[in-house]
Amino acid sequence: MDFALDDDQQMIVDTIRRFADRDLRGWAADADRAGAPPDRLAHVAGELGFFTDAVPADAGGQLEAAYSHATRALRGFELGRGCPGLAALLETNVEPALAVGRWGSPAAKASLFASLTAGGLAALAHDSRGTLSVDADGAGGARLTGPLGPLPALAIASHVLLAKDGVLYLLDLAGVARIAVAPSSWRAARWATAELTAHAVAADHVVSRDPAAVAEVLAWARASLAARAAGVATAAMEHAERYAAERVQFGQPIGRFESLIRLRDDALTGAAAARLMALHAAWALDTHHPSAHDAASRARVLAGDVVTRATIDAVQIFGGYGFVNDYPVEKLMRDARPFEALHGDERLGRVLAQKAVI
Amino acid sequence: MDLFHDSPLLTGVRQMLGGFAQHQIRPIAIQHDQEESMPWELMRTAQKLGLSQTAVLDGRKKLTGVAEDPDPTKPKSQGRLAVIGSEELAFGCAGICLALGGSGLAASPVARMGTEEQKAEFKRLLAGDDEKGHIKVAAMALSEPATGSDISGLTTTATRDGEHWIIRGSKQWITNGQSAAVYVVWAQTEPAAGRAGVRGFLVARGTPGLVPGRKETKLGIRASETAQVHFEDVRVHKDMMLGSPAVPGEASGGLADTKKMLDSTRPVVAAQGVGIARAAYEFLLDRVRGGSLHGTPMASHQHIMFELADMQMEITAARLLTHRAAWLADHHQENVAEASMAKAYAAKVAQAVTTRAMVLLGEEALAPGHPVDKWYRDAKIYDIFEGTGQIQRRILSRQLTGMNPT
Ligand SMILES: Cc1cc2nc3c(=O)[nH]c(=O)nc-3n(C[C@H](O)[C@H](O)[C@H](O)COP(=O)(O)OP(=O)(O)OC[C@H]3O[C@@H](n4cnc5c(N)ncnc54)[C@H](O)[C@@H]3O)c2cc1C
Repeated sequence: MDFALDDDQQMIVDTIRRFADRDLRGWAADADRAGAPPDRLAHVAGELGFFTDAVPADAGGQLEAAYSHATRALRGFELGRGCPGLAALLETNVEPALAVGRWGSPAAKASLFASLTAGGLAALAHDSRGTLSVDADGAGGARLTGPLGPLPALAIASHVLLAKDGVLYLLDLAGVARIAVAPSSWRAARWATAELTAHAVAADHVVSRDPAAVAEVLAWARASLAARAAGVATAAMEHAERYAAERVQFGQPIGRFESLIRLRDDALTGAAAARLMALHAAWALDTHHPSAHDAASRARVLAGDVVTRATIDAVQIFGGYGFVNDYPVEKLMRDARPFEALHGDERLGRVLAQKAVI
Repeated sequence: MDLFHDSPLLTGVRQMLGGFAQHQIRPIAIQHDQEESMPWELMRTAQKLGLSQTAVLDGRKKLTGVAEDPDPTKPKSQGRLAVIGSEELAFGCAGICLALGGSGLAASPVARMGTEEQKAEFKRLLAGDDEKGHIKVAAMALSEPATGSDISGLTTTATRDGEHWIIRGSKQWITNGQSAAVYVVWAQTEPAAGRAGVRGFLVARGTPGLVPGRKETKLGIRASETAQVHFEDVRVHKDMMLGSPAVPGEASGGLADTKKMLDSTRPVVAAQGVGIARAAYEFLLDRVRGGSLHGTPMASHQHIMFELADMQMEITAARLLTHRAAWLADHHQENVAEASMAKAYAAKVAQAVTTRAMVLLGEEALAPGHPVDKWYRDAKIYDIFEGTGQIQRRILSRQLTGMNPT
């Protein structure tokens, strides 16, 4: 077992950390207020290889060998430290591109990759609440009806990869009206809802009917969410540590009060554990280890708890300043929510799955 | 009246304000949260109903039509009335609850320490409408940019100049800070005297040098205004120093009284935390009743129902602590520890219940304008203002051993 990063991984971590510290943190507050990313995001992040890193090289992307979820988890942690809302946009293409690259028909590949290589975005949706209904079209395809979202990137996405009842569908959103919304979390992430009315998905856009493929895609997303959540928790406490060293009450820096040391230390212990679990899940995905899906799900359970607790406690350490938007921690507390909420209540999914086999 | 059974008076207030919360507050809560605006129209309606901004001064008569027994040795019901009312209003919306009652923070020290003239002046300054046509509100300005928990470190000064005091300094996070018609501001009159030198002053809006500052953009309770207030050599007549001249038998008006005042307001603030937690809990309960999960009744799942059972336990425990603290005050008994326990525990429960409700609701609660998302953001303030969670535990620790642990 080797916990050291190789040279390539170290370089990626260093590069993304610089990008997160300088650019993402610099843009975060304005992007949150505006409910949109800065115009420069696409260009700067594109130069760093985001958006097409999971699109095969022969389709105009950058993926030449097997995709590395471990590298993605390493970078996700740094992105989470930067800005979770912008990170969601930077990571949004990965699941659709990987899934279509692996299981998609030539038609699905052509449609999705043409868009992504031209700067388009795709989103992952999981109908965990069963609000969409599916009618077979009699030709191997389907018609989907019902509400989609709210989902990050949906406002500007050209495609959605939808996981529903063990099937993966690639939805071409051309002509689908979207209602852009700005929730209190990840406000820059171009969220939207859409109402599908007998939305046609041709047979060659049904990416997979294998429930194992759906589980695999959701495991990619979970490992990535867990890594980013660990980054957010860490960032919250980085801000809190700096503040607590300067803020003086009762004649001493508040960072010296034992109860606040405990809050910070417990949060960082949790964040370190969540990061390791995310990396372990990513390694299991990369090596097709049988524990991969379970590891990704467990990583998300822990990371969800950790990021919630850490961001609430960071606001606490800032006191009144934590509750107002002069400092970044109130935003991080809002931004913690999707890590637990997206794709449904992770614990409930685990409980029901285990109940079914006993 | 005992601790466990509401009198008809308290039951009536609970029903009346519960209905007000449901029918008048809930429908506008999300809008004011999103717009970060005060519900001025509702504030006027509430005032007409007897929910005056200065309820502390008016006593319970205005709201209930029944005056408190004037005999000071008899138990009162004001404390319990306030916690019952606060829970109901915060169940509607904590931000709006604070907009409706935020002036009470200022009225409280006036009621406790003010002379009859000062009480009359405070009421006079709050009568009628302001220049924007809004009802008038008051602010209590104690915290400063560098001084929140440790109120003995105040740097705002009041210097005597003949018949006047000259107040100089800045205040931070002041509820109603921009709109107030009258401010109760705390300033150091004798730096050498430390805490004993801190006194409260009544300052009217428009007094030269009083400059309301920037309004804050907040995580929650966004229907309540929070702003900085600057005092740039504000000249105040000496009669406007609370408790001055010392009236035999009246409070001295110093910082010690401010702390006592907080003991009386903490249960009220705790009750608001209970109200938020109950809002999230009842929302879930409503969803569970008749709801189904993958074809099975939601109510048949322990994963969901045991969470609700825990929430019910925690909310009930927080409410009992809160009522106990208020009951002790109503019975003229010391309640320092009970008030701190109630405040700290209710804050914890409000945060825990709203967090778990968010998790159970999953993606649904991410939708803009979802009430549980709002309650989750609102709940956090209860661990910060009126003494943070750490400060409540510090008070409890000191009660246990006499030491202030660090
Ligand atoms: C929305 C809002 C409305 C407000 N309204 C008013 C108002 O109307 N009037 C008014 O005067 N003030 C008001 N306040 C201010 C509020 O009372 C203070 O924010 C609060 O007292 C905490 O002070 P602080 O923010 O300076 O935090 P600090 O005192 O700086 O505390 C920072 C952190 O250090 C911790 N800490 C401090 N001392 C200790 C210790 N001894 N041991 C362990 N931990 C410690 C705190 O618990 C906190 O976690 C309001 C604040 C907000 C956010």
